[in-house]
Amino acid sequence: MKERSDRSLGKLIQRTLQAGIGLCLTAFAIGFFLRMSGSDGAGSFLRAGAFLLIMTPAARVAMLAYGYGRAGEYRFAAASAAVLVLLFISVLL
Amino acid sequence: MPLPGDPNPLLLAPFGAAIGLIGSVLGVGGGIFVVPVLVLALGVPMHQAIAVSLAAIVAASSAVASVNVERGLANMRLGVTLEVTTAAGSICGALASGSISHRVLQITFALALFPVAAAMLLKSRSSGGTAAVPPAEGPEGPAGAMDSDFFDPSRDSRVPYRVRNLAPASILSFFAGGLSGLLGLGGGIIQVPVMTLVCGVPMKAAAATSNFLIGVSAAASAFIYFRRGYLDPDLAAPIVVGVLIGSFAGIKVLYRAPAGRIQAVFSVFVLAVAVKMLWTAL
Repeated sequence: MKERSDRSLGKLIQRTLQAGIGLCLTAFAIGFFLRMSGSDGAGSFLRAGAFLLIMTPAARVAMLAYGYGRAGEYRFAAASAAVLVLLFISVLL
Repeated sequence: MPLPGDPNPLLLAPFGAAIGLIGSVLGVGGGIFVVPVLVLALGVPMHQAIAVSLAAIVAASSAVASVNVERGLANMRLGVTLEVTTAAGSICGALASGSISHRVLQITFALALFPVAAAMLLKSRSSGGTAAVPPAEGPEGPAGAMDSDFFDPSRDSRVPYRVRNLAPASILSFFAGGLSGLLGLGGGIIQVPVMTLVCGVPMKAAAATSNFLIGVSAAASAFIYFRRGYLDPDLAAPIVVGVLIGSFAGIKVLYRAPAGRIQAVFSVFVLAVAVKMLWTAL
């Protein structure tokens, strides 16, 4: 049971991290292309890529909180939620 | 803002790939290399270098964890538990970065690393980097919530292990997080020894779990640097792309190499970092 929920949570976390990396790389690729073609807006895409990258661990922690909460492992759901709160505080600082 | 020397992205990407490769095998972020190269070789201001280093750590952590959680190599329960104090330490470190002497910090940290390197080397010789504490099951009592196991291809068998001493490990993780914010390091150089020597986690699982959690501490600090405008995307983007490529290559090495050898290499790495930090500070 624990093994099955671990595997399913592992898949969820894997997809979340891959989505974050994919979005970041897409933004970087557009930014590089615009930079090489001399068009405006390259900096915005590169900045967006960097922001998406540093948001990825936060998304992963949110998914962990959701996954552990759904599996009834409230101790780890609470730990994930606490980490999310700390990340939110760091955004505000 | 244009940087002195206008670094070529085609040179920054291979540098990032090397950092990603080392980081994913050893469970460290590679910030110890990124910051000095950017500051000394490219003339990047210290705060910008730290911000890029933190972004590189987030990239390496995300890439490596995306594979290791699915393989069961990263212990997510242990990781998220240590993340609480690590993230708190990271925020404190980033906030205190202007008020603490980096020189004093580097000397203290370097001196603390020498016994860590020795202990890691001794353990790699005595146990081959595998678990010192097997899980208790059946008549000895139920396995703990964080106990786990993973398949090790170099041994062609599953390696079960029990996680112990969580309270001291959490306290030490706070300091690992603090270093992340203060020096732009991932904190893996502390997290891996904490997990292997204090918690009894085998080297491969410790490296994978360290990679899993250092992304959060680095992100917590990176948010602060990003908001303050220190993260230069033109500099960060090619390094991050290189780190991602190197990290995915390093995962294969971590999975297949003998744990004892990885642990021995890690101890040499810790020793090199200690000497380098002491040299820089003195």
